[in-house]
Amino acid sequence: MKKFLFIGLIVAPLMSGLNAEEWGNTKTWFGDPDLQGTWTNASLTNLERPDYYDTLIVSEEEARATLRMSEEFSEEVDNPYKDGESPQAGDNVGGYNVAWMDPGTDLFKLDGKYRSSILTYPEDGKLPRRYIRWGLEAYGMYRMFTVADHPEERSLGERCLVGFGSSGGPPMLNVLYNNNYQIVQSPGYVMILVEMNHDARIIRLESNHNPDNMQPWLGDSVGTWEGNTLVVKTKNHHPQQKFRAGIRHQILIMEGAEITERFTRTDENEILYQFEVDDDKAYKDLWRGEMPLRSADGEIYEYACHEGNYAMANILAGARAEERK
Amino acid sequence: MKNILKIIAINFTLLLGMSTYINAHHAFTAEFDPNAPINITGKVVKVEWINPHAWVHVEVKDMGKTTVWMVEGGTPNTLIRNGINKKTITPGTVIVVRGYQSKGKLCLPRCIANGRDITFPDGRKVFMGSSGTGAPRDGSDPRERR
Repeated sequence: MKKFLFIGLIVAPLMSGLNAEEWGNTKTWFGDPDLQGTWTNASLTNLERPDYYDTLIVSEEEARATLRMSEEFSEEVDNPYKDGESPQAGDNVGGYNVAWMDPGTDLFKLDGKYRSSILTYPEDGKLPRRYIRWGLEAYGMYRMFTVADHPEERSLGERCLVGFGSSGGPPMLNVLYNNNYQIVQSPGYVMILVEMNHDARIIRLESNHNPDNMQPWLGDSVGTWEGNTLVVKTKNHHPQQKFRAGIRHQILIMEGAEITERFTRTDENEILYQFEVDDDKAYKDLWRGEMPLRSADGEIYEYACHEGNYAMANILAGARAEERK
Repeated sequence: MKNILKIIAINFTLLLGMSTYINAHHAFTAEFDPNAPINITGKVVKVEWINPHAWVHVEVKDMGKTTVWMVEGGTPNTLIRNGINKKTITPGTVIVVRGYQSKGKLCLPRCIANGRDITFPDGRKVFMGSSGTGAPRDGSDPRERR
């Protein structure tokens, strides 16, 4: 079976797009609906709805206002000092110039209408968090940001294990940069390569879940086709991947959570991505969301994170310097 | 007990908000010292085009002493998509770096800093913004769709 997967991964991209002309009917050479390609979920729309929007669907004018806010923020971040001026000691430096980042350029549209949040349920666009559970789990998160006795204590992104936030998913959510995915299909499998940190989620089709004691990074995913829609169910999430925090979203996924994703190719340049998270330990209700995965130009640049991770040594050296004070 | 847990939850939310504001691949304040700003001018001697961050090595001469700084930038994947590549900064180019020094401050073998922004001595930005970085949309970016 492994040999079949390997051959499929090599051959499938070459055979992609050679069949029917209508995207709804386009199949791979082995007959599955074709989702293959490089895709991005970069967008100014976040998981949760900002307080300044009341509705899921927003007008063109409101969408333009969001873009203006984004541009003004970029301008502010890029030019906090006059030419020749130095940064001030103790400033909130924000980290980086906007040129280092790639969050997206617009609110995404579905059915031709701008969306203010990825969340479609609950209808208020806010996660139905169980704050007491979040409080109980907070200590682990706190340690990741404050303790640096050895590398294993730092966050998963710093350790080059998985990307920050829920970039790899499930659910796959947009972050500040590297919002790119490559989907490759072979008979019996769908592979989603997540650009950051080069994570490959292999979805087994028409398969049972592995035993519950097997909890891989990105969870254990199995899939099935419902017409042209790939339905993926994931459970047995890695216990160290509970907190997925980035600037764009903060979510908590407990080990027993069940996540269902639906991938439907709607045209040459778009996949409709929908998900539902059922995690009654961390949330008072289900939550659902949807967003487009839009075709991305070019290929994914290899994210060989460990090789260039000077940051980890610098973080540990920084902690030792703090101790000497 | 319930109140204590609520306080923990609120503290957690504050912590999260603070840390995520400055968090990219790694937490900025874990690696760099916001109380140690730098403003250096020097010649590029090496560019490392690697993940998760590109690094530009700059040789700075000051009062007869030469120091080489390693300056951390963005992920090369993002830079390439924004039209920035290895040829944007080449060895020999003189640049001005404003940023913050690493907390370690050992300068062994090289001093380390984040490159908050990088410009040429005449004020031109080395890394020009594209429409993907908040600059005005001009239709040239394929990501501007519908």
